[in-house]
Amino acid sequence: MDTIRFYGHTPPNVSGEETPGRLIVLEGTDGVGRSTQIAMLQEWLEAEGYAVTVTGFRRSELAASGINRAMRGNTLDALTLNLFYATDFWDRLEKNIVPALRTGMVALVDRYIFSIIARARVRGVPARWLNDVFEFAAIPDRVLYLDVDVEHLLPRVLAVRQLDHWESGEDFLRGPDLHDNFIRYQSALLDEFRSLAKEHDFTTIDARGSVSDIFQALQHEVREAVKGMA
Amino acid sequence: MTTLQAHLAYKMGERYGKHPDDGHYPGKLIIVEGIDGSGKSTQIDLLQKWLNSRNLVTVFTEWNSSPIVRRTTKRGKVEEMLTPMSFSLVHAADFANRVHAQILPALRAGAVVLADRYVYTAFARDSARGVDRDWLRRIYSFAVQPSLALYFRTPLDVSIQRINSGREELGYYESGQDMGFSNDREESFRIFQGRLLDEYDAMTEEFGMTVIDATQPIAVQQQLVRQYVDPLINGAMSGGNQSVPEALGQAGLSGRYITPPMRRRPTETEVSDL
Repeated sequence: MDTIRFYGHTPPNVSGEETPGRLIVLEGTDGVGRSTQIAMLQEWLEAEGYAVTVTGFRRSELAASGINRAMRGNTLDALTLNLFYATDFWDRLEKNIVPALRTGMVALVDRYIFSIIARARVRGVPARWLNDVFEFAAIPDRVLYLDVDVEHLLPRVLAVRQLDHWESGEDFLRGPDLHDNFIRYQSALLDEFRSLAKEHDFTTIDARGSVSDIFQALQHEVREAVKGMA
Repeated sequence: MTTLQAHLAYKMGERYGKHPDDGHYPGKLIIVEGIDGSGKSTQIDLLQKWLNSRNLVTVFTEWNSSPIVRRTTKRGKVEEMLTPMSFSLVHAADFANRVHAQILPALRAGAVVLADRYVYTAFARDSARGVDRDWLRRIYSFAVQPSLALYFRTPLDVSIQRINSGREELGYYESGQDMGFSNDREESFRIFQGRLLDEYDAMTEEFGMTVIDATQPIAVQQQLVRQYVDPLINGAMSGGNQSVPEALGQAGLSGRYITPPMRRRPTETEVSDL
């Protein structure tokens, strides 16, 4: 991108200076393998001579610890959590992503506003309000969406860890069975991701294959995105 | 779906303030607004005492007090990490949590909810920091429209004098020092609060707020407040207001192990003025 553009109004402090960097976003549901791919992309881009900054969900200096604390409690509603995530997202956009774009770096973002929006939509928060909230977000150069079906997702998650309360939607689904909740929740979440992919013109990558296959597909897209930088 | 989400869905895509018919909850929402030193907190405290003396169930809620979000806001302020947008968003999160867990349940139950500062505080402060006005009205569309919004209008000199003669020192964000208006804290406060006054003045018309001249004696203002509130509270929920000291007294106990919840109370002179 040459100057930064936003989904809606231009928020204060990040106005349209020259931004020779690239904003590349990886999206996809829990356990699909995003962080592995991000790490590999960073290795590769740096080897190619690009300066890279990596940031992700719930990693802001301001709000990350507060969100983590809130998620251990049980009175956190979907709207509050969404606005809390928005705070976290903005803090990283303003202090990390935009400065990197100004200095000509590649910003690799592990989950952008779309994971936040998908999670809130599944919980019944109106899409239009969510679009309003996140209109302050910069429009990425590429959104690479790792698509998977729940049948492939479940074994991949189970191979590395237990099923998680939030990743199974147990804050709002009312069944006794963790496995069933995980399937129901992740299926609904995937539907939202696929709708968002259409609404926002994601590049969909089939994430059912091996780590190498996925990486090759991503490499191809990222190579296109960074063209003209060097 | 939570009540809050249902409420947001009902107002879908609107700007805040488009639904004067919000009042489909049995309770009443009464809010006070004004710049620092306007005396609004004293007034709402006196109002609550009057309502309680009439045996009505009241619920008090304060700006920036969600148990879930407050610590993050505080940290951001202490470490001066907040910028106009993060200041705005973290306060919206705080407010959403209070609407969900405190304000809507109380209104559904039929209580009188008293709010010290409401969305107008966010609109005024955030706009004064350059945040988009229209965006603010859209993201706060989930807020319930109050039954009565009282704005305590105070000239800048009066509020500064009140603050200087009491209260703790001005904060970094209260005085708008994050905006770089001036290195001098008092000068910065004057500039920032002046901007807030302009924002409030524009909003009294936009949202039909009831303006009270806050330079009048406290007791005179309180009489006005009660006149405005009186017609609203017919049929509000009553009972349940027995105080802890009263219950202890009836049981013939001294209450060594119970401390009743404390809130700032008006001083003796404020009360005797009534």
